[in-house]
Amino acid sequence: MSEPAEFLALALVKAAPLIFAALAGVLCERAGILNIALEGQLAAGAFVAVAAAAATGNALAGLAAGVLAGAVLGGVLGFAATRFGVDQIVAGTGLNLLAIGGAAFGLVVIFGQPGASPSVASLGAPGAHLLIATALACAFALHLVLYHTPWGLRVRACGENPRAVASAGLDPKSIRLLATTVGGALAGLGGVYLSLGELNLYSDGMSAGRGFIALAAVIFGRWTPLGATGAALAFGALSALQFILQRSGVPSELMQALPYLAALAALAGIAGRARAPRADGVPYVE
Amino acid sequence: MNVPGRAALELRAVRKVYPGNVCALDGVDIELVPGEIHALCGENGAGKTTLVEIAAGELRPTSGSVHAIGNVGLVHQHFELIGRLHVWENVVLGFEPRRGVRLDAEAARARVRALSQSYGLELDPDALVEDLPVGIAQRVELVRELARDPAVLIFDEPTAVLAPAEIASFFATVRALAARGAAVLIVTHKLGEIVAYAERATVLRAGKVVARFGKGQIELDAIARAMVGGEIPALAERVVTALGMGLVARDLEAGQGAHALRSASFEVRRGEILAIAGVEGNGQSVLADAIAGVVPSVGSLELEGTPLQGGARERIARGVRTIPGDRQREGLIVSWSLVENAVLGDQDRPPVRKGIAIDRVAAGRRAREIVERFDVRTTSIRTTVATLSGGNQQKLVVGRALAGAPRLLLAYQPTRGIDVGAAALVQSSLIAARNAGAAVLLISFELDEILALADRIAVIYRGMLSATMLRDAFDRGTIGALMAGAQRAS
Repeated sequence: MSEPAEFLALALVKAAPLIFAALAGVLCERAGILNIALEGQLAAGAFVAVAAAAATGNALAGLAAGVLAGAVLGGVLGFAATRFGVDQIVAGTGLNLLAIGGAAFGLVVIFGQPGASPSVASLGAPGAHLLIATALACAFALHLVLYHTPWGLRVRACGENPRAVASAGLDPKSIRLLATTVGGALAGLGGVYLSLGELNLYSDGMSAGRGFIALAAVIFGRWTPLGATGAALAFGALSALQFILQRSGVPSELMQALPYLAALAALAGIAGRARAPRADGVPYVE
Repeated sequence: MNVPGRAALELRAVRKVYPGNVCALDGVDIELVPGEIHALCGENGAGKTTLVEIAAGELRPTSGSVHAIGNVGLVHQHFELIGRLHVWENVVLGFEPRRGVRLDAEAARARVRALSQSYGLELDPDALVEDLPVGIAQRVELVRELARDPAVLIFDEPTAVLAPAEIASFFATVRALAARGAAVLIVTHKLGEIVAYAERATVLRAGKVVARFGKGQIELDAIARAMVGGEIPALAERVVTALGMGLVARDLEAGQGAHALRSASFEVRRGEILAIAGVEGNGQSVLADAIAGVVPSVGSLELEGTPLQGGARERIARGVRTIPGDRQREGLIVSWSLVENAVLGDQDRPPVRKGIAIDRVAAGRRAREIVERFDVRTTSIRTTVATLSGGNQQKLVVGRALAGAPRLLLAYQPTRGIDVGAAALVQSSLIAARNAGAAVLLISFELDEILALADRIAVIYRGMLSATMLRDAFDRGTIGALMAGAQRAS
């Protein structure tokens, strides 16, 4: 492969999990739930997929289990935030710790070894390519759902003013719960891509802060599916750049920090100009 | 008239007890007849909002029955609209027209156009709601309710945010709705409107119906007496004062955007009340904040001949005292005690400060003085302010502002949301401060309050201040026209 083509391919590979997580973030935040548990949902999706693939010997079963794990975590966040009015930052932080710690514990319990799982049946290169295409397709699908379906209108309304949604005879809590569950499933799929798409195992710290980079992509993309996807692609390109530049002898520690520094710079640059959904992170109390 | 079966909405023996054993409604009967405009009045805390929410089905009564023969639409006091959605999206939310799984935006726009034509309520379906002036936003909320084809329409304080001209056109619309057979309930504390437009009126006090007025029986004084449960206390006498140099503002500008103050030149002399009339959202809050030193401003401000500079702290030291618009957010720290709140702002100078500490004895004395002089009803001065009613909280804020013998008193909506008795006390204390030689700047959205208190009036519209009018020359019509943006003929 020529160098530019190699770079583009690598950028897509690096961007795919970010896209899934960023879309999850967009959906949740447009509904008014600040999902900082994206990191945990990525980790849970990745780990549960590996565990299920190991148990069944079937990578597709692993994929389904990973998506389900993400959905469950998303659902728990939504449930805690809507029914119990738990602070969303606290709930999200707790879920992150639970998922990442749970995966580390699971490695010992299930595989009898800390740090990383043994190799399991993976989706292989075709599967990974298909997931990358799925990520891009999800971006367009979420755009259509949010802006061209009744449910999308309700989700956006919930993120702005849940009281108005309630006075229109709808239940904002149910809408938010469904949004976080679907969002969790999307982030779980991003985790599946990490463990069964790009690789064939789970290792501790695999999510590597991607859930938080995705939150930055949400803001950078102004809370729109296509914008967030564009931002995720840009962050993916920076990660790819890091690999290319490493070969040219730039210190690797510096390069690894590149996407994070870029996220920070992007947030600083956009702060005050982008407007979050008005009720983003604000609990709805009847 | 009490014909069963004819009512569009019937509430029988409705009782609502909130957690903590607070009884908001106690056995209320009310019925609304198609084609009639019914007014519901009462003081703050009388139970109006609870009654309206029960009638609209948003709240369940503890006991009693609610019976409606169709949909009940409620136009809220604080509109429940979504600013960043378009008009059509707001209107169809919850019963969206569909084409397959997709939202049929064209059908939704057509629905809005049809409704606005049919009722003569002009609306652009593609406008963003946050860009609309408040009168039009209210129209969006009304059209949203009309789209649900209601048999009963309830308006909660619909004219609180409207200019006088808008109020007239609002009631023309309401009459047309009633003429088409809707039963209309209007919740208001503006008695003039009840007399002018309502056919029946029900007065609530402390959760009970204390008076009903049928067709041809509506009379202003009787409603007012029923609301208060007695005579309304008279205001303090105005005495002739020696006017002195007070606050002088020249070309004052502050804030940004729609609610900015664009240009204000005025003078408030010692011994007079200058009132700024205007509909909410025309730059009043920025004006008050600029004078208090809470937001930066350009232009010149002088108090008694010396430039008024620095932040709020420096200005308090110069004798600028404020009664802020939102007592719970800007005026008080409600989880603190009366004593602590009574000395807020004065904590860093004697007599409250002694050495590096707060003199607790002096602070307690200050709090007791305010409580006695302003009739703040509380069990103790050590209890938290959160336990006080709104009226008593406001009396504390007013008492604190007046405790240090202010040079300039800045009063922003000083009687918002408090009962008539407390309001009369607050208004009297503004007059007393004026009589004592303070320069008083009153900013209010209530024209009646302004006409009762002001020595001179200026009108603010979109951040611009009109020339001032003297008390002898006050004219409701002229002021109303200026509030709605008419150019002043001069």
